[in-house]
Amino acid sequence: MSEVTASIDSKEASNTGGFNFDNVHRNRMIENLAKESNSVLPQATKTGTTIVGIVYKDGVVLGADTRATNGTEVAEKNCEKIHYLAPNMYCCGAGTAADTEMTTKMISSQLELLRMNTHSPSRVVTACTLLKRKLFQYQGQISAALVLGGCDVNGAHVYQIYPHGSTGKLPYTTMGSGSLAAMSVFEQGWREDMPENEALELVRRSILAGVFNDLGSGSNCDTCVIRMDGTVSYNRGDVTPNPVQPLRDAIRHSSKLSISAGTTAVLSTKNQRFAVTLADVDVVEA
Amino acid sequence: YEHRFSPYDFNGGTTIAISGPDFAIVAADTRLSSGYEILSRDVSKLHEVTSKCVLGSAGCKTDVDQLRSVLDIKGKVYQHNHRKPMSTPSVAQMLSNTLYQRRMFPYYAFNVMGGVDEEGKGAVYSYDAVGSFERTPYSATGSGQAYMIPLLDNVIGHKNRLDEKKELGVEELVEIVKDGFVTAGERDIYTGDSVEIKVITKDGIQTQRFNLKAD
Repeated sequence: MSEVTASIDSKEASNTGGFNFDNVHRNRMIENLAKESNSVLPQATKTGTTIVGIVYKDGVVLGADTRATNGTEVAEKNCEKIHYLAPNMYCCGAGTAADTEMTTKMISSQLELLRMNTHSPSRVVTACTLLKRKLFQYQGQISAALVLGGCDVNGAHVYQIYPHGSTGKLPYTTMGSGSLAAMSVFEQGWREDMPENEALELVRRSILAGVFNDLGSGSNCDTCVIRMDGTVSYNRGDVTPNPVQPLRDAIRHSSKLSISAGTTAVLSTKNQRFAVTLADVDVVEA
Repeated sequence: YEHRFSPYDFNGGTTIAISGPDFAIVAADTRLSSGYEILSRDVSKLHEVTSKCVLGSAGCKTDVDQLRSVLDIKGKVYQHNHRKPMSTPSVAQMLSNTLYQRRMFPYYAFNVMGGVDEEGKGAVYSYDAVGSFERTPYSATGSGQAYMIPLLDNVIGHKNRLDEKKELGVEELVEIVKDGFVTAGERDIYTGDSVEIKVITKDGIQTQRFNLKAD
């Protein structure tokens, strides 16, 4: 009989149990240092965001926009917000980009170790519990709002997880700054046991509602279908309603503006020779 | 902590103005926003103060509207007293004085003025919120200012370039304005929907529109 070891994050949880306040003193020192030298601490990139998840007849559909903002500036026009957790589970993330990325990576790794230990597929409720325990431990300091969806032996499930660690199990949910725009579409259009094409259309319409009506969301719509039969369709760039090339093409650039060699000042030049060996390269999917 | 009532709201948007030998171009996007919401996709930020002078303002919409009304009234009074419309440099000075009168409770308006002066030459004036102003060859203000100015500096001001400076005509500059707004629209969440472009010459003001992304 294989043992389920509970020492997965033995490195993080101190042996006394409870909350770990080791970094409070260090954080205070860093803040004071920044104040003294009149420098500004780096701002975390937040994702603005519209993320959604619904349960349909044969599984779940997750959706997300692709804009990452840094205050009012668009830091990334096409970022990926649907994160892999397990072969049968994906997680959309809103809030601080680094937090959603690292938290989902950590739990994905814990799930894989657990699968090795138990010789069975991961359950969505397990991921939910691991995520909420981590988020609660950090008392909301990890700014990750997640929509977790997947299929397991107990059926198809969608969970919403808040930064402070509370969770909700729902047939459909939205999160992020565009959640109200997306939810208005869901409340009007969701039914129980929708067929896959209708479910996908509903998710697309709700994300686009966020993309066009919420300034924190924008660019494209990514979707991910996870089915009870074990198949997954990750559709990166499922809908791309905001191409910039047509706008650029509509502008008649004057030939006077073309930049020729010598326009930019060359301060110094250094030439270096490299020995090059030709080899056969296999392209591996990222 | 306690939240005090703030009389100001930032309604977003970017305005730019470029001057030429016998014309001026003033352009602004038409999106009105508050927080993360869009209030309107089609609201003008440009105001024709005289037939030779256009004021572009970004900032708090209610302060901008009030400022325009005040300028209109002062302009009418001037016209009644002097039997002629105000010249562009005079409007520029009047705007500065009007803004400084509210030094202790400012108009939350970031202004840029473009027009033709008494000699028919293009004039652009840029302002801060309390009335400091300067005549400049070109200017940009508002939420997308940081994305526009470096582009204008390089292409129109010919900064950081070693090639020969070329004379750009009105049509070419209008295309540069459109390009600038597409760029600002990509990276500033408050800039988008469409651009309103006004070209001012001694013969009058022509208006044109250009669509931007709506996300």
